[in-house]
Amino acid sequence: MYIYIQGTGCVSPQETAAGNTFPAAVLPWEGPRLKAWEPDYKQWIDVKLIRRMSRVIKMGVAAAKLSLQEAGVEIPDAIITGTAYGCLDDTGVFLSKMINQQEEMLTPTAFIQSTHNTVAGQIALMLGCHAYNNTFVHKGFSFESALLDSIMILREGRSSSILAGAMDELTNHSFNILSRFDLYKKEPVTHEQLLKSTTHGTVAGEGAACFVLGTEKGPNTKAKLTGLTTLYKPAGKAEISPDITSFLAAHNCSQEEVSLVITGRNGDAAGDEWYEYVEDTLFAGKPVAGFKHLCGEYPTAASFGMWMGNRILAEQEVPAAALLKGTVPDHIKKVLIYNHYKQTHHSLILLTVC
Amino acid sequence: MEKLMAALKAQIVEQLNLQEVKPEDIGDDQPLFKDGLGLDSIDALEIIVLLQQHYGIRIANPEQGPEIFRSVRTIAEFITAHQTPK
Repeated sequence: MYIYIQGTGCVSPQETAAGNTFPAAVLPWEGPRLKAWEPDYKQWIDVKLIRRMSRVIKMGVAAAKLSLQEAGVEIPDAIITGTAYGCLDDTGVFLSKMINQQEEMLTPTAFIQSTHNTVAGQIALMLGCHAYNNTFVHKGFSFESALLDSIMILREGRSSSILAGAMDELTNHSFNILSRFDLYKKEPVTHEQLLKSTTHGTVAGEGAACFVLGTEKGPNTKAKLTGLTTLYKPAGKAEISPDITSFLAAHNCSQEEVSLVITGRNGDAAGDEWYEYVEDTLFAGKPVAGFKHLCGEYPTAASFGMWMGNRILAEQEVPAAALLKGTVPDHIKKVLIYNHYKQTHHSLILLTVC
Repeated sequence: MEKLMAALKAQIVEQLNLQEVKPEDIGDDQPLFKDGLGLDSIDALEIIVLLQQHYGIRIANPEQGPEIFRSVRTIAEFITAHQTPK
């Protein structure tokens, strides 16, 4: 059974939500933090609902609506999301009020909207979708877990179209806290410099990407989700190569058949060594693209990578801003996305052109 | 009463984050819920908290809610009748 990508939607620090295509130009940024470029949400969400929604909810709902529009699906058979941080902004509002008001006279809105499954719930409420609704909160595997659940449900034949996606927001509070973990670069860096950087740390990002997955081709289907796997804390770089080879073999794909490798390179010297090792040992001479200079680093950033991989297969072109090395073949057949989050959560996604 | 109603309208717009509504757009006798301003049950809870925070008033009998929250004027009348003089 094939699993087709029937529609996609993405809200990111690039203008990906305008026209739902890869933007012609990269929105430049400088510094340790990328903020999502937000579209006019009123085109998808009633103003009476928008007033209660924090940014991550609006981003998630917009990405969901875009993907459903592209797929031509009104109500999916399931809604499955992944998020590492959940609705951080509303959590902060609610907890701050709890402290400031000595746990008295707390208003309901921020509390209701602060749970991790709020985005999936809001999408369901807006669509009137009473089907399976689940949210995975598994750090750097949140998106991959949502995809895995979707794949399993589709393979069981219980659904024919599933809305799957991931979303994470960055707030001032979370950025300050994450900065204390020494995750981000101390020196100024731009989108052109980030992936060439040889110093410690990366840049913070955020965004939402949704996919309508189905067992049949949709009117706008351009790619299949051929395979997905996750690797938790591999012992070392040498361990990842056989894992990738086995993953490809399990999906009847040789290294030679991979047209393009998309890596989660993020400018952090230690983390990027993993990608360099894989590029050199398994895919020497293959074209390599990157995406975290476009969306920043966050636990569900692989969803942006998958969105970009699908767009590349759809348009049969790698945007100049994303191509890091190599020559792209005339016909792009298979795209392998290799990503890791903080060197602990590694994932592989294989897409095939239709 | 006029000053109180103006203050209430501004507080409602702020507390409920009514993005496309200005305080002066709300009529004194305009229904707040359903076909009027379109507020819902979550907004009712927000207004209950607003009355506690700004006016020190608790609504003892929830069944009175629909009557009290009918319009800005009915809320203002309720506040005037129940606020403890300073």
